[in-house]
This record gives sequence, structure tokens and C-alpha cells, in this order.
Amino acid sequence: MADHNDPNAVNSIFSDIDVSAADLYDIFGFPSDDAAGGEKVVIALTFAAVPQTGVFDGDMLYRIQIAPDRRLERSGKDDGSLEGFLVYLEGVKDKYLSVLQASEVRITIDHNRRANIRFLNFPGGSFSAVVETNQAVTLQSPGGHAIKAFVGGRDDAFFNDLPGFFRSINYAPQFYHVPHAMPDLRELKIPKTFLELEGNDLFNYDPDQPEWGHGIKRELPPGPLTWSGNRFRKDENGNFRFVYSGKDARAGQNCNAIILELPLTFLTERPSEHRVVNTWGESWVLKAAAKVETIPDHPLWIEHPHVLLTTLALDDELKKYKLVDTDGQAFADAALSEREDNRQLGANNFWLAPHFIRRLGHLGWGFGPSITALGLASAFDHDNSPVSVHRTYSHVMDAFPRVRKILFQELNMPDDSWNRKGLPIPLRRPVDIFIPNVNSIDMDTTGTWPFGRRLEDQVATRFLSVFLDMGATLNGKRYHVELLNDPTLWNSAPIEPKTPPNPLKNDKAFLPDFPYLAEPW
Amino acid sequence: MAGYRAEMRRIEEDIASIGRADPLALPTDPERVTLYVYRLYQRAAIAGDSAQLSAVERAINRAIPLLANPSDLYLLKANTAFKLHKLSDVEAALRAVPSVYVSNEGRLIRADLDFQHGRYREAKRGYLGVLQAERSWGALARLAYFYGKRGDVAGADHLYEEAEDQLTAKEMRSYAWLEVQRGFLAFAHGRYGEARLHYGQADAAYPGYWLVDEHVAELLGAEGHYGQAIEILERIISTRDRPDLLQAIGELYAIAGQAERARDCHEKALDGYLQSAQRGEVLYYHHLADYYADVAKDGAQAVTWARADLQLRENYSTQAALAWAFYRGRQFGEACNWIDRALASGAVEAHLFFRTGMICTCANSIDDGRNYMERATRLNPSVEKFHLHH
Repeated sequence: MADHNDPNAVNSIFSDIDVSAADLYDIFGFPSDDAAGGEKVVIALTFAAVPQTGVFDGDMLYRIQIAPDRRLERSGKDDGSLEGFLVYLEGVKDKYLSVLQASEVRITIDHNRRANIRFLNFPGGSFSAVVETNQAVTLQSPGGHAIKAFVGGRDDAFFNDLPGFFRSINYAPQFYHVPHAMPDLRELKIPKTFLELEGNDLFNYDPDQPEWGHGIKRELPPGPLTWSGNRFRKDENGNFRFVYSGKDARAGQNCNAIILELPLTFLTERPSEHRVVNTWGESWVLKAAAKVETIPDHPLWIEHPHVLLTTLALDDELKKYKLVDTDGQAFADAALSEREDNRQLGANNFWLAPHFIRRLGHLGWGFGPSITALGLASAFDHDNSPVSVHRTYSHVMDAFPRVRKILFQELNMPDDSWNRKGLPIPLRRPVDIFIPNVNSIDMDTTGTWPFGRRLEDQVATRFLSVFLDMGATLNGKRYHVELLNDPTLWNSAPIEPKTPPNPLKNDKAFLPDFPYLAEPW
Repeated sequence: MAGYRAEMRRIEEDIASIGRADPLALPTDPERVTLYVYRLYQRAAIAGDSAQLSAVERAINRAIPLLANPSDLYLLKANTAFKLHKLSDVEAALRAVPSVYVSNEGRLIRADLDFQHGRYREAKRGYLGVLQAERSWGALARLAYFYGKRGDVAGADHLYEEAEDQLTAKEMRSYAWLEVQRGFLAFAHGRYGEARLHYGQADAAYPGYWLVDEHVAELLGAEGHYGQAIEILERIISTRDRPDLLQAIGELYAIAGQAERARDCHEKALDGYLQSAQRGEVLYYHHLADYYADVAKDGAQAVTWARADLQLRENYSTQAALAWAFYRGRQFGEACNWIDRALASGAVEAHLFFRTGMICTCANSIDDGRNYMERATRLNPSVEKFHLHH
């Protein structure tokens, strides 16, 4: 009925694309406590339970990439200048070329709802198996390695006050109906903060509507969507108001999961040298063209044979899929990459380093002053600002001096229990953690974050500790990654509610044995 | 493979579920209102139903005052107006909200407007600008169409192919739509076998889609399988008001030598066009111009409707339609004048060259006429065979 091209006839202004099965939640990884038969590493990739818990989308392909390597050694020559940082990145990039040639586990689901698991390019051999979903199984590699696998529905192992996090960054879509056509109104130009800002009516807790932001949204009000105050909000008792509630937004909710327990000797020929297992997950969706049966004499191939040649040079299977999501390090996407599609790079995120610095600078101006207001020391240089500031950076050189300490400070651990063997393992620094975007599981530790990620780690709160000054002390003890998880800290702080930012444990107890994640609800 | 019917059923279920209580009644839930209107739009757009689109337009106008931030609805309004050829309404809807105007979707629609108004350089710049920001399949498809109309068939097909590569198994309708465009590109150059493969691929990807059937019918008609073509088109019009397809069925009957049936279909088609125009709709103006020029052979009426369409959007297509209307009225000087304007656009189309050849020949420019006829035949050796008035 129209004489013009009209992709709008089928195009949509909203996403019609139900790719939520591609929405990766987390990748956990830690050395198994089960030492029988040698060292093993546990890796669990969780994602949205779509179409249902324990039922998988047949158009999806999941990859878990694994690259064991030596522990990153820190040179005494590391300097904290921008030039030094760039040199450091170059070195890491070169080293992690090995990561980019990782072995992988590839999982698809067939029409009979069985999982096809393929182990590709491992020193312990390549092989595949078809297993029933929602059942723990033990597979035998060609070399005789016993590998435990589970592909099925589980309780979501993430426990977190997501609305609190969104309130801390003034993320409007959690609280308001934000039109698709107004992307600038997602993170509003209001200082990020742990403490409510006086007069920030756009985001401050409303006692008359406590469920606001927990599934209830409002219309964006007219007028400037900014904040013009100059202090943190305090109640009549002089207490600050915490943006976090400590409540588990994922309580009672499930995920689908791929859980593996792999012998280290299957992953590397040099287990005594390769003490760090780097891993990350990817979700891929089948391309439309691959969904249709191939027509052998397709005119494209007849007229453009080079296309066929190029295609054949690629991975035969992956060429049929499109990468949607990657997951390596917790909060690398949500906090630092701002969830942008074109930043789903997995391990190969080196080019994002300048963006990370600018973003850390932006976050630091928000979180730094709120940490200081609580009487704690911040690693971010905010010129003793009495209140959070909304500031963005165009140039890395401007942001770098502010975030230098955050990037390069070692993240103290609360005690030595993480270092099971008492080895001289250097503490990790944020710069080591987020670039490349992988979960680096140190096999000589318990695998607690940032030496991996254990299920019970309250990683959201540990991420916030990145902004603390790890050189400072409280009650005679150095700050550490668990400090903000300590209820006694909050009980004595001038703040309401007196709670750690996020829940201290999962809504359902984890299992002592494989597959470790709790049964689904 | 889930297809057209399954998707329409899902949309209907959504509409029924959201619309159980009037979503536009106060107090309103902005997300529910937007989703409801969007589903109405989807149903009408996917079905290619202009009557439903007019209803969607009214629903949008009712919903906009209910929302504090109706920018998404203005974007829908612009899309809806575009389908109904209400180009001034498109512009107004985009300008209503600055963020819509500058959004990628807004920029693409503005580039489409430029194309419709014959501002080809601006249109191309618009498409390329958006592609720099986001290599979306919609932008690629638009640029492909642009290249196709400029005669770069290989470039167009390559872009359509790239657009397809952006799509996943969750977007099979869009994939089928692109396969139809690639098929039509081949069809318009007389490569029927290739067209059939693309249409087959589209049907396999998204079964039951009337758009695929419509193009398959056109192909069958061009190949001389009139009965099969008529059968398919009659099936399509049994569920929606499509006077343009009634005209096509009439033409097929006429070619098949069934004059009475042809006349009956043509009368019904004309009735449908005129009723639409009486309702204030403009989307069939160019069909009316074609009808009077090719079926009724009434030059004066053809000129009237071609001028009306040209007043809405002056581009090579409307210029050529006016030229053809003048030709039918034996006003060859005017016809030459307007066909020259159409050619000056740089458009490369077999039908345009064919009509130019006819006009030049009748205007005593015999060599030019022969030249354009040859160019038309080179582009499409089957240029004179049956085709739909797209």
C-alpha cells in the first residue's frame, strides 16, 4: 500500500527482541573444597530463567572461556603516573593474549531439552556430551578426568539491594517511567551518593510510598531533573539517610545456571605454575539467517563466493550466532561500563581503560564525599568536598590524578583466611581486577573476591570498598574489603537505617556439595 | 517456526490483557498506556491495515495528553503518520519533543521524509549519520533502498545482507521483510529465479506473512501464472481492505482475457480508493493516479490525482506519475517536462525509463525514446510484464 521503502512497517521503536535468556547475571569461580582426586575449580555462570526456571531457550549458546595462567607478578617499578599506568596496561594486554586464546566450554540446548556440552581445546582433551538438564552429572574426559556438570534452574545466588544501588546513582528508570526516546534521562545529572541529598526529592526515600522503586514507578515530574542543594540530608536526630536498605531484591527469585567443577589438570598441563584460572562467560543468540534452513544454491554464494570463503574461515558454529552479553568481573558492566551494548567485550576490554578512569572519577566525586561524611577515609581525592558533586570528565588526564589511589591501592582483606597456604600472594588492586574483565580465580586462595568469587561473597558491598582509603585504620585495624559489610560499623554510624548496604547472606542457604547453588524456588 | 499468525495472536492476547480495564482511563499508568498503544500500532503495522492505522492514530491522540512525557507516543505518531502518507504530521510529531527529533529513530524518519520530498542528498546524509552512531538493521535497510533506487543494485543487496546479519532468531519477521526486499530488488531487474529464492527464504523464516504472499503473487503474475497469482491476492484481500490489490487482481484478469471480472475488480478498487479519499486519507492518491492513467485511461483525472500526490511529496516517483498522467492526456510537452524532472533526480528504474521512452517517442523524440526503452530493457528485460503498483 506504499510506494516507498518502509522498514518501519516491521521496525519497532521499542525492543521486540526477547533476548532475556541472554542476560547473564554472574560468573562465580572458586577452588573446590573437595580435594579428593586433585585440585578442582568451580565455575558457575548464571543468567535469566527464560523461558522458565530449568527450561532453556534453544536459540541460545553459552560459552564459558577458561585460561589458566601464572599469577600476575607485580613489578617494583610500577609507578602511579598516567604514563606508568598505560605502560602497565600494555604489559597486561600482551600477557593476556593467552586469555584471548582460551579453551572453552560451549553449551546449547536441543529440542529434547537436553544440554549439549562441548569442551573445546583443553589440554585435557576436547570432547562433548549430551546431558539431561536439571541433573548433576559426572563426565569423563578422554584423558580420564572426572568433570561435574549441572545445567538447570537454581535459586539466584545474587543477593543485593539493587534499588539501593540505583538510588545511589540516581538511575531514573528504576523509579520513573522514562521514555525510550529519552536516553539522557537514565542516569540523571545528580551527584551519586551513599547518603541521601537534602532536597533530592527525585530519589529520596518516601515513607508514604516505601515500595516506590521496587516495581512501582512514577511519572517524571516537569522541570529540571537536577539537584541544587548543598548538603546531605539529616533527620531530626542528626542522622544521615542511607540510600541502601540492606534488603535482598533478588529474594525468592531463580536463575538458570551452568555449573562446572573441573580438575585443574584438565585445564592446564602446568598446574603447579598456572595457579590462576581466568574465566568469563558469554551469551550468544542464533542469527535469523541460521534459523532458516540453508538453501544450497543460495544466490549470495553463487554471486559472491568470497563471502562463503570468509565464512568458512570462521568458527563454523559461532558464525551463526551473535554475541549479546559477557560477564567476567562483578560490577564491571553495571557500574563501570554503564551497561552499554558496545562495551560487551569480555576479557578484551583493554580499550575501555580510559573510560574506566573517567567513570571512576565521576563515581568518586559522588561516593567519596559521602564516605568522608560518615567519618571514614576515602581514596578518592575530592578536595574535602562536604557533599557529593556531579562531575564528569572528558579527558583521562584530568580524572587520573583523582582516581590514582583508587586504581593502585591494594585491597586489604579482613584477615588471612583467604590465603589458605600462607603464600606470598600480593593483594589485588582495582587496576588488576577490572582490566581485563575476567574472574581470576587464585587456586592458592579460598577464591573469595577479588581472588575469584565465592557464592557467599557480598560482592556488591565489597565493590563499594574500592572507594575507601585502604591505608586508613578503624579501631586500630586497616580498612578492608569487608569493612562496609560490618553491622557494628553501621550501628555506631550517624545513619538510618542502621544496616550494611546489602544483605549479608543469600535468601537460601548454599549447598555444601556440587552443584552448590540452592534448589530453585 | 512461529510465524505471522502466532505473532498476531500474541499481540491480540496482549491487547486483550492490557485492555481489560480501559488503559486510557484515569488514573493512568504511563507504561501500560504506552505499551497498549504500541501493541495497537504493531497489530495494524504488521497486518498492513490502513483502517486500523487510522484508529491507532486516534488512540495516540487520546493517549498523549494523559502522559507527562509522551515522547514515545510522538515517535509512534510519526511512524503512524508516515504509513498513512501524512508527511506534514510526521514532521510535526517529531518536532513536538526535541529528544525525539534528535534521536536515531527520529533522524531516520527525518531522512525518510527527505527522500519522500526529493531531497536525496539530505536523505543519504541522514542515513549515513545514523549509521555512524549505530549500525542498526533499520538504517542499513533504508540506505540499501536508497542505493537500489539509484541503480547500485549490488551495493543495495550487500547492505540488505548486512542488515540481515544484525538480526537474531528473535527477529524472524524483520528477517523475512529484508528477504522480501532483496527478492523485490532481484524481481525489479528481471531475475525471477533469485527473487523466488529470497521469497522462499522469507516464507521459511516467517510463515504466513501476507507481505511475502503479495510478492510471490506478483512474481507468479509476471511469469504468466495468472490464476495462481489471483488466488493468492484474493486470499490476502479477504481479511483486509486493500483496493490496490483489487486493482492488481483486475489487471491479472484483464491480461488473462477475463474482461468482465477485470471490470468488476477495477470498479471495486476505484470505489475503495475514492472512499478512502473521501475519508480524508491520502495514502491512495498515487494509486488513483495510476488507476486513471492505466486502467480508466482518463488523463484529466490522472493528472488531478497525480498533482494532489505531488503536492504532498515531490519526488521522482510522483513527478514520473504526473508525467505519465499528462502522457495519458496526450499533453506530451508537460509530460516531457515532468519526466525530465524525475530523471534529474538520478533515479535508475526500469519502469521510469520505460515510461520516459514512451513519452519521448510520442513527443517525437524518437531516438531518445528508443534509447530509454533500451535502457529500461537492459535494467529489466521483463519490464513490460505484470507488476504491482507498490
